[in-house]
Amino acid sequence: MILAKDLTKRFGGRTAVDRVSFEIPQGQVVGFLGPNGAGKTTTMRLLTAYLPADEGRAELAGIDVSEDPLAVRRRLGYLPEDNPLWEDLELTEALHFAGRLRGLGDGAQRAARVKAVVKSCGLRREVGSKVGELSKGYRQRLGLAAAIIHDPDILILDEPTSGLDPNQVQEVRGLIRELRSRKTVLVSTHILPEATAVCDRVIIIHRGRIAADGRPADLAGDLADKNRLHLELRGPRDEARAALAGLPGAGGVSDGAPGSFVVESPAGVDLREEVFRLAVRRDWPILSLRQERLSLEEVFRALTRES
Amino acid sequence: MSGSFFQTHAVRALAGRTLRWYFDSPSAYVTLLVFYLITGWLFAAPLFLVKAASLRGLADLAPLLLAFLVPALTMGLLADELKSGTFETLATLPLEDWDIVLGKYLGFAALHLVCVGGLLFYVAVLGLCVSPSVGLDWGEMLGTLLGLASTGLAFGAVGIFASSLGRSQVVSFVAAFLVCFVLFLLGKSAALLPGGLGNLVGYLGLDSHVDNLAKGVLDSRDLVYFASLVSAFLYLTVQRLRSRRF
Repeated sequence: MILAKDLTKRFGGRTAVDRVSFEIPQGQVVGFLGPNGAGKTTTMRLLTAYLPADEGRAELAGIDVSEDPLAVRRRLGYLPEDNPLWEDLELTEALHFAGRLRGLGDGAQRAARVKAVVKSCGLRREVGSKVGELSKGYRQRLGLAAAIIHDPDILILDEPTSGLDPNQVQEVRGLIRELRSRKTVLVSTHILPEATAVCDRVIIIHRGRIAADGRPADLAGDLADKNRLHLELRGPRDEARAALAGLPGAGGVSDGAPGSFVVESPAGVDLREEVFRLAVRRDWPILSLRQERLSLEEVFRALTRES
Repeated sequence: MSGSFFQTHAVRALAGRTLRWYFDSPSAYVTLLVFYLITGWLFAAPLFLVKAASLRGLADLAPLLLAFLVPALTMGLLADELKSGTFETLATLPLEDWDIVLGKYLGFAALHLVCVGGLLFYVAVLGLCVSPSVGLDWGEMLGTLLGLASTGLAFGAVGIFASSLGRSQVVSFVAAFLVCFVLFLLGKSAALLPGGLGNLVGYLGLDSHVDNLAKGVLDSRDLVYFASLVSAFLYLTVQRLRSRRF
């Protein structure tokens, strides 16, 4: 569980994080979205007690971050921004070192954990390589492996896919997806498809404040002021148009290409079933039917547009 | 805290890693080479020039050598982690700042003590060269090595503090060298100052303490002096790391 309550952080006169509050229940994967400089990294640093908050408080697994940072960090795996690694170590040495720093008991227990994360993060091929020689994708996997070496309940990942090529992005997303349900994950990104791909929920932060918080689909719904139904059917044009406009709750109807119509309705009114029944009654075969939704990208742009 | 003040597992892991880090790059080898070349010369010169088996020259000048070499070994200890970002990884582990500083410092201290321990070879050579009737002043010999070991440990603490100042190793080196050099100079200039001031400066400087040890006199005041320098600078380092997280 991750809890932020009115978290505020100022640097000089600038407020980097401004009364940020959210609660992430156990087992949820949450995307933390925002343009560069929105306050994502600073918020994460407050949650990990790397920086002290000026106001507000944070709790991880029910433990207050400022009261017992060490207890919090024992439960936490953190991948900092830019994934800093000790370049001169060999891959498994780096993982052993991370394990030793975390006090992962005797050699056998640690070796078992190292083996487990090498497997789960798909690092086997690169065992024996120096960290400094790894490709960016493998570096990212190694950073993730080091962050989960102690099998933490909570993961905070700062831009784990930044700078990766599309294949590598897919791989890292796959890893995060596998952690889902077992761990509480807060993952920051400024790449939108990422949030839709792996997250149960997204929190959008803009200029240090939370601009939106919800399931990707709900966010799009909330923001749209009306529904648009794109429809293609085979039937007499004017008659069909009049019939569609006569449906209960339907607003304007416009038609474009032959047989294509766009039926508008107020937000919250779903006309799809009514349209289906009408088409069946009149024997007008439906060729396509699509409810328009704002994409997360449009939501994001709408919320974070510079005013 | 796992029962003790320090988390020994982490301190040991960091110290071991620091020691390996030295030997994975040429820096340790170059430093050791310079150290043994110059100390070798300081040791051999009186043997041939004045035909005396003494470590006097070593006790006089080696602190200056250490004021140069120790900052070279310590300049990267924290500056390198700050620069590469791995400090954030360390600082978000369940560790206190003390664990980090102590682990790094002990890694340096191990290298330094091995370095000074290597000088026992010179002492052994002296023992073989000198006729048994004359004999060696073992107290003086070992006292000199103890003086060098203590001086290096104190300089190392200065060095790790300088390394916590920022990401630049050059700044760290210059700052550490300046402080070490001032400590060295204070001892040399004490004799030029009047009475009480001279005594105070003499106490603050290295010379009198290294001299005592080099004479084979084991005085707790000298050991307290070195221990205070080490603790003070390690404490400042921890404070500095804390203040970086503003």
